[in-house]
Amino acid sequence: MNIEQLILATATFGSLFAVMTVCLNIQYARGGMINFGTVAYFAVGAYTYAIFTHEPPSGLDRYVFGFDFPWYIGFLAAGIASLLFAVLTGWPTLRLRGEYLALTTFAFAEVLHSVLLNERRLGNGSVGLSNVERIDFTQFGLADKYGYALAAVLLLIATIVLCRRILASPYGRAVDAIRDDEVAAQSVGKDVQRMRFEVFLISALPIGFAGALYAMITTLVNPMLFTAEVTFFVWIALVLGGERTIKGAVLGTIALVAFEELIRNFHFESVRGAEIASSIEHMMTGVIFILVLRLQPFEKIKTWRAAQ
Amino acid sequence: MSILIAQYLVAGVVTGCFLIVATLGFSLTRQVEGFLNIAHAELLGISAFILWSLVNLAGWYFIPSAVIAVGITAVLGLFIGRVVYDPIRKFGPAVVLISSVGVAYVLGGGLDAVVGTGVRTMDIPLATSYRFFGVRITDYQMAVIAMAAVTGLSLALFMSKTTTGLTIRAMSDNPELAASRGIDVVKTSRATWLLSSGLAGLGGVSLALIATLSTDIAFQQILTIIAVAILAGLGSLYSVLIAGQVVGIAMDMSVLWLPAGYRPLIAFALVIVVLLVRPQGLSGKST
Repeated sequence: MNIEQLILATATFGSLFAVMTVCLNIQYARGGMINFGTVAYFAVGAYTYAIFTHEPPSGLDRYVFGFDFPWYIGFLAAGIASLLFAVLTGWPTLRLRGEYLALTTFAFAEVLHSVLLNERRLGNGSVGLSNVERIDFTQFGLADKYGYALAAVLLLIATIVLCRRILASPYGRAVDAIRDDEVAAQSVGKDVQRMRFEVFLISALPIGFAGALYAMITTLVNPMLFTAEVTFFVWIALVLGGERTIKGAVLGTIALVAFEELIRNFHFESVRGAEIASSIEHMMTGVIFILVLRLQPFEKIKTWRAAQ
Repeated sequence: MSILIAQYLVAGVVTGCFLIVATLGFSLTRQVEGFLNIAHAELLGISAFILWSLVNLAGWYFIPSAVIAVGITAVLGLFIGRVVYDPIRKFGPAVVLISSVGVAYVLGGGLDAVVGTGVRTMDIPLATSYRFFGVRITDYQMAVIAMAAVTGLSLALFMSKTTTGLTIRAMSDNPELAASRGIDVVKTSRATWLLSSGLAGLGGVSLALIATLSTDIAFQQILTIIAVAILAGLGSLYSVLIAGQVVGIAMDMSVLWLPAGYRPLIAFALVIVVLLVRPQGLSGKST
């Protein structure tokens, strides 16, 4: 087993997914919104980046758009596209509450997945776009794998700083007030619908950037990379880390990614062996998830700390 | 052309009948237990694969195998309800909903580990098709329709005529009132788990009849089950009958105009439209 590779992969993908968990944390723990379509914003970011930086189509390519922009324009476009998608999906749905919102966001993510899979003109359909443009870190004297780990960590730090700033401001306290007591917040003149919408938009932006970075790291975008599994993964990480804090969201994600990378690092003699291992990994993730929700260890630690 | 449309209509009705059986249990859980059980579809998959292994590996006849499969699934559902969901009910429906994702992972992973990936077909005689006015329908398709009809009818009778059925309805209307009137809440909850998981088992049997089986089949079904349940209005049983047909027919008829890959999209486009225009669903009851 290659320890360095394990740490690098955990740092890269852990930070990348932690960006999503932190944003989900803002939406759920602060805004009280259950977003079961997180993957859609991630996919929009990744696809926008790929489409903006890809060369125009030639030969057997079925996609129509390829703008051949440099990476930083694609990166910015990814964030903006994710934001626009949040406007499109959030504006009509955010008046729905609880489980209805969960189901609608889930439905939007499935519709997007289905369109990406079937609409060849957007991103070659099920084939996807490969050889996505990436940043060349060697020009800064840095090997690619370190460069991307660094980029992912930087993106995570930027996201955390953004979220901290917002939540510590008077605006953040208004958001908390809405979650705690909607009627009371309304009675002192807070526009509940509007603030909820704003929180939803702000938290979609970093997810779009994370999508762009993910496309650079994997060098391809393909509908199979953006299934509901990603959404569930992020949710499990969020629950694993305890629901309420940014630190918990980050640690939960890193722990979960490290666990997955560890299992991926084992070598299996047969295909069947690998298959069983991956199903058992699935089962273990599920069991941990159920146990954390059932035993609520983080709440207990909190009360224990408070009692000290 | 009209024959072709009729042919797709028949396929849609069959899909609708399967969806009705698959969704009834889901809606029942929502009504009585008060949460959306994402793991419901995994029970369908488990039932279908128990049936498959009894027929293909043990060489049993179809009908006794189906009975065993439904029975095991019902008991498994009751077990999961008691062990996993009951202790966390106090944390609210959102936590239970998220936990059911964990249950779906465990069940799906277990199924993958035991059966393995790849496509399976049932070892049963090839379907015979019959023609009515030029429209073909196979005997298995007819069996699925008959099963849905019998299930719907007996469920309606059970809910309106038996004591257990009446207590289930009382619980779903108003749990506090039901408890204060002396209804045994725990017993009723267990009966509901048995019933809803048994219905999932029946759904699995229908699935085994009309589809080729693979272990990821359950996850594909939950999407359409949710679509049907929302269209019906969460927690309404009779409107599931209509909603199942609407979604089934819409999905299969869409193939006439749209590429077949968009079939699942139709169900979800319906969900979005319904939730935005009429969040209370067909039944009109607000939950």
